[in-house]
Amino acid sequence: MGSVKLEGQVQIEWRWLIAAYLFLAGVGGGAYLAGVIADLLGGPDWMTVSKIGVTLGLPCVLIGTLFLLADLGTPTNAWRVWMKPKTSWIARGTIIIVFFMIFAAIHMGWLVWPFGSQLADDASTRHLVGVLGAIFAFLTVIYTGLLLGYSQPIALWHTALLPVLFFFSAISTGIMAIMLIGGGLGVSMEQLGLLANVDAVLLVLELFVLIVFLYNAYRTVESRFSAKRILSGSVAPAFWLGVIACGLVLPFFLELQGGHGFTATLAAVLGLFGGLCLRFTVLAGGMISPIVASGFEFARVARPKDPMPAMGKLPPS
Amino acid sequence: MARYGMVIDLKRCYGCYSCVMGCKQANHTPPGVFWSRVLRGEMGTYPNSVRQALPVLCNQCEEPDCMKVCPTGATYQTEDGIVRIDKNKCIGCKYCIMACPYGARYSVEEYKSYFPEGLPISDYEKFCMQAWEVKSGNGVSTKCDFCIDRRAGGKDPACVEVCPGKARVFGDLDDPESEISYLIKTKRGFVLRPEVGTEPKVYYLPPR
Repeated sequence: MGSVKLEGQVQIEWRWLIAAYLFLAGVGGGAYLAGVIADLLGGPDWMTVSKIGVTLGLPCVLIGTLFLLADLGTPTNAWRVWMKPKTSWIARGTIIIVFFMIFAAIHMGWLVWPFGSQLADDASTRHLVGVLGAIFAFLTVIYTGLLLGYSQPIALWHTALLPVLFFFSAISTGIMAIMLIGGGLGVSMEQLGLLANVDAVLLVLELFVLIVFLYNAYRTVESRFSAKRILSGSVAPAFWLGVIACGLVLPFFLELQGGHGFTATLAAVLGLFGGLCLRFTVLAGGMISPIVASGFEFARVARPKDPMPAMGKLPPS
Repeated sequence: MARYGMVIDLKRCYGCYSCVMGCKQANHTPPGVFWSRVLRGEMGTYPNSVRQALPVLCNQCEEPDCMKVCPTGATYQTEDGIVRIDKNKCIGCKYCIMACPYGARYSVEEYKSYFPEGLPISDYEKFCMQAWEVKSGNGVSTKCDFCIDRRAGGKDPACVEVCPGKARVFGDLDDPESEISYLIKTKRGFVLRPEVGTEPKVYYLPPR
């Protein structure tokens, strides 16, 4: 018993596959929202930006759901997933993303379907579809934060800040995705510049929410180990290099240089990578808070890295 | 109708892990899966410090969070209050594992052998793999069910039977005359994480 080391219990079930889904749902929903807002506020001049944003919505979320399916233990049962929308955020979320994909497909239709041109000409119908789709895009973006937040024992997630953080990251990465492919698809330089400026503002807001989120986690006894794991533990490289450097600081300064050319492309690529790292950091930082009873704080006994010596190599006696 | 619960007397628990091994043998759980576990805690600083073991298992909550978050309804409660999983309905989304306040749920992709790779799988382990596949299953959530098979044969759960300190008592919470009702009432019984509001049915008696 002399050298027993206690450790917090890290959640190991949801990792890169779920992070990839959270990221893609964010990019898709965020790009769609940005596209609809560009259409509503910008008018005909912003049609190209709007089209790019709306078109990104469906494929990103669809690929994301494939990651979700890949994470399931028994994918053949996946059709049962919307049985209990009353209490389960996964059931509600499935309904939300299905509705989002339906609206995004209809909206996208004006580019590819034969009768799509009607929607392109009829602005009021297009706006109606866009607003309905935008509602579900918004829900797609934030429900994942609510889903994680429902988990009471993982105190890092059990906060109302998580949906806000995911929202800012989603809009910002969505705009970055539009910037990334917009340059080659005839979006004007002024528009790209404006997008870059808006995105830079969003990055500052995201950084602010992230700081509050981590400060809150650090000041809460239950989630302090999670915050430590993110700030200086094994998730720290993904956080400092991926989220802070690649995801927030570098894109911010690169976007101040303008919205086109090599710097903007680099900003978008780094920012998108940072968005993925943010989701992974939040997931991998999740730890089950210790059980406190009778004045003790109970934790699991850390197991040795290699509990079983390889055959033929017995430990020295 | 019975409402099964358990009392664990922390004064009597000396952290021998018998319950962990008894559970493994009774339920044929694969490596890394611990339906019954022991946590440890320490209070104070040397030389005035105390150590305490805390055996944990599924608390068979009255208002289980794991059941609320299950999107398919695979997690359900039996009439006697045991929370169970219908392995044919579970999709393996692992949301319940995140939501359980007691870390009582486990899911494995496959039953890996306990022994180093390359060694032949023994007949006993083959039997365990089959039994696991029939009762619990791979790719789905699994958890303690107070040894439903043993109870059908009139025995107590394995962790209760193997406990050498007799720290565990299993019984009916609805019966005011039962031993566990008496212990909870007279020996200051408490539950873990009462703040999450899941109304657990595993009670603990204070270590001193």
